[in-house]
Amino acid sequence: MRRLDLRATGRTAVRYRLLVLLVIVAIFGSITIVDFFSVDTLQSVLNRATVVGFLALGLTPVLIAGQIDLSIGSILSMAGITTIALQPVIGNVPAALAGLGVGVLIGAVNAAIVVVFKISSLVATLATLLIFASLALLLTDSQPVSSTDPIFGIPLTGDLLAVFTPRSALFVAAAILMFVWLRFTPSGRNLYAVGSNAAAAKSAGIRSNAYIVATFLISGLFAGAAGVLQSLSTATGSPVAGAVMLIPAITAVVIGGTRLEGGRGSSLATLGGVVALGALTMMFEFNGVPAYTQAIYTGVLLIVLITLDRLVSGDGRPTSRTLRRARVESPTPRGIQEEA
Amino acid sequence: MTATSTALNTRTSTPGALFSTLSVPIAIVALLVVGAIISPSFLTVSNLVNVLNANAAVGLVALGMTFVAVCGGLADLSVPANVAMGALVTLGAQSFAGPFAAAGLGLLVATVGGVVNGLLIGYLRINPIIATLGTGAVLLGLSQQLIGGGIVYGEPSALADFVKGSFLGIPVMVWILAVAALILTPVLSRTAFGRWNLAVGGNYEAAEASAVPVRFTKAGAFVLTGLLAGLCGVLLALSNGQARPIIGTGYEFVAITAVVIGGTSLFGGSGSVLRTVGGVIITALIGNLIILGGLPTQATGLVTGAIVVVAVGIDVYFRRKGGRE
Repeated sequence: MRRLDLRATGRTAVRYRLLVLLVIVAIFGSITIVDFFSVDTLQSVLNRATVVGFLALGLTPVLIAGQIDLSIGSILSMAGITTIALQPVIGNVPAALAGLGVGVLIGAVNAAIVVVFKISSLVATLATLLIFASLALLLTDSQPVSSTDPIFGIPLTGDLLAVFTPRSALFVAAAILMFVWLRFTPSGRNLYAVGSNAAAAKSAGIRSNAYIVATFLISGLFAGAAGVLQSLSTATGSPVAGAVMLIPAITAVVIGGTRLEGGRGSSLATLGGVVALGALTMMFEFNGVPAYTQAIYTGVLLIVLITLDRLVSGDGRPTSRTLRRARVESPTPRGIQEEA
Repeated sequence: MTATSTALNTRTSTPGALFSTLSVPIAIVALLVVGAIISPSFLTVSNLVNVLNANAAVGLVALGMTFVAVCGGLADLSVPANVAMGALVTLGAQSFAGPFAAAGLGLLVATVGGVVNGLLIGYLRINPIIATLGTGAVLLGLSQQLIGGGIVYGEPSALADFVKGSFLGIPVMVWILAVAALILTPVLSRTAFGRWNLAVGGNYEAAEASAVPVRFTKAGAFVLTGLLAGLCGVLLALSNGQARPIIGTGYEFVAITAVVIGGTSLFGGSGSVLRTVGGVIITALIGNLIILGGLPTQATGLVTGAIVVVAVGIDVYFRRKGGRE
């Protein structure tokens, strides 16, 4: 019983780490920066976190299902250049929809490689990362595409309700919708089962492959949305826009508490991770900290949080010490029933 | 795991085993034939030597990445940071330490990066992707802070001349890759450490139960990769005479691609260093052919990615078929 309590308190601590982080940022921010606590700051944090936020949100169900999608950065680039390049041909809104379509299409390619050819998602999306980053450069001849209608995207970053801009409102709404899906619908809960133990989920009658396909389509759609929003707000489609986005996106998801091993995670946690990371970046920038120093802090933060997570909750694979203890306590060894 | 058994019985005559044994040499021969048809300047000694020379440094990283993949450590994404660290320290410390000590210092710093990875992944059991993502960000940031985000220039030295020179008509860089491969091939296939790597990657729990030092082994693979990434950085810095923090950008993916094309599974339990050398040669030849064939260089990723999917897809197909028989 005592171990159970320990685990429960550990989980609570891990759950509140985001809050702790935000409080630290708020305190440091209010000490070092005049007017840090303002609606404008929050609006700006949310607005600027939107692009990485959409990537991170799309990644969340993929990770819950125990897969990974490294190609989201390349999807972002492809969707961005599609949106901008098609604007003069088919009009603004259809071009944006085409950008989303490209995202879903690349997601479908990922899903096909993973499910049909049975290639692990790490290798499959590494390949599509290379393929579509390369294709984006080929299509644009390595030059950014400028929009013919730069006015169209400006309202996306304008004022909406107090703390929101239209695009950050979209992001928060998407996070809440995803939360409802994951938490309150049978299909959302089945996704966790697929991620924790695909074989067991299959024997329980859950069509694991269908769920894996769905997660890659979602991740493609969301990365596409990130690309469309970014290209429209900057009025440029850059073929390398996504190359630097993958790592912040993974960091945000992991800081939020979603595991790369699958079976655990939440879109609201990802939202929290994105906002915390965004607030941290904003505070650094206000203080004039160079980008490379920010990278150091972000990296240390990632390592510290994930180490805490491992030490406190001690979940995942049992350490040899707990295994030994379990062996002493009970004749049937625990933790041997790992995935084959 | 079936992967271990295929690694141990490569002489069985199932189509899958045959494919996995012969695919790398056949691919290299095919590329040479195609290249000879496409361009008359392809199949010349000077071109092939140049191709090898240009890819020798990243080839070293791929050798280390083989151990990481074999022991089930997925991949080391901190490679660009360790390459940058090795390169920047090598040139930055020259003024006060002399070229040799500076190069040694560069190797040491990168190895320390590998040790940190090893502690996080082997001993704390943090997911390798996250851990190396984090250490990579920290180390790359540190390397940039070290030089304030600019370029470091090296001074001419006997060591730099040696690295840039050649021996028996073959560049020293290629010799270094060859020697490293000749040392590491038996290390993986014949020594206890190599066997431990295969065992840990094949079945972690079984290896632990068989008294294999699982944590040490996994950590060791990442330390080795850190060391080799550092060596890659040192060699690049000395041969270029200058270094920037972005010197190793993308090397992690090139190395992973070479490992995968060589036929080593990223999920552990099987693989060989020699196959990775084959993978390095294949990726190098593809890059060269794209340029000689008049295709834009941006197409490299497209072709490499497609080849990864096809090669791994065929391998998976034969393994599943072999499993059913």
